[in-house]
Amino acid sequence: MSATGRGTPAPSAMSDKQIVICRLIDAPRELVFEAFTEVRHLSRWWGPEGFTTTTQSFEFRVGRAWDFVMHGPDGTDYTEWITWTEIVPPERIALLHGESRDDPNAFESTLTFEPAGAATRIEMRTVFPTKELRDEAVEKYHAIEGGQQTLSNLSAYVTEIVQKRAEG
Amino acid sequence: MAPMARAATTSDVFNAIAEPQRREILVLLRTGERPVTDLARELGMTQPGASKHLRVLREVGLVRDRKAGKQRLYGLDARGLRPIHEWTGGFERFWNESFDRLDAYVQDLKQATQKE
Repeated sequence: MSATGRGTPAPSAMSDKQIVICRLIDAPRELVFEAFTEVRHLSRWWGPEGFTTTTQSFEFRVGRAWDFVMHGPDGTDYTEWITWTEIVPPERIALLHGESRDDPNAFESTLTFEPAGAATRIEMRTVFPTKELRDEAVEKYHAIEGGQQTLSNLSAYVTEIVQKRAEG
Repeated sequence: MAPMARAATTSDVFNAIAEPQRREILVLLRTGERPVTDLARELGMTQPGASKHLRVLREVGLVRDRKAGKQRLYGLDARGLRPIHEWTGGFERFWNESFDRLDAYVQDLKQATQKE
């Protein structure tokens, strides 16, 4: 069991150009870090439930990349290209996340792994070059998650909130 | 509901839509603009009651109003739902769910390591 429990992520912060996501994982830092370093690990957890990945190439070294396709549960494919920009085992990984090798809209995320007793605190800080790119990424990931839902598709959100509130 | 929810109602879109009648108003406004009398009748509430809810929804940016002749029409402003949108979907949820799976997977790894 994770100390925070499933479905109750640690508080996350948002600003105009960055998104910070934190999570406590009940495992030693080396082990958590290791889950980021090999494709046989990454392919077991990358993406929400129901997502799978097909890797074209993978090399966990600074300047090298993970070139893969992410398959959504609805059958949609997303090409992904991740370049590692910093690797400090078992403390930190920085990566550039785009859709292709020279994606001008790629954005950088820094993952930091901190020991918290016997557990590990992951912080993922993503900084977007502009607010527009941040909004675009949020939209894109929303589309990935919701199967092409858009902001104007209100009913789904309101329904979801009703359910969440009813459960909570 | 948390004791502080009431105070925060007017400033937070999450609190604004925690109120069932306000959600009903939003659902009604999905089909188009309406005057307050219309909304009050449809939801079986008094007009001052409906107006109060509309004011809260307007303050958090979920509803906008405009004058049309003698009456005031209330309409939905979907942009106000952005915080909810980002919370229920989007980048953050993608990663929170990935981290759920990472957590489960690392527990498996941990057990495998302990057995060795």
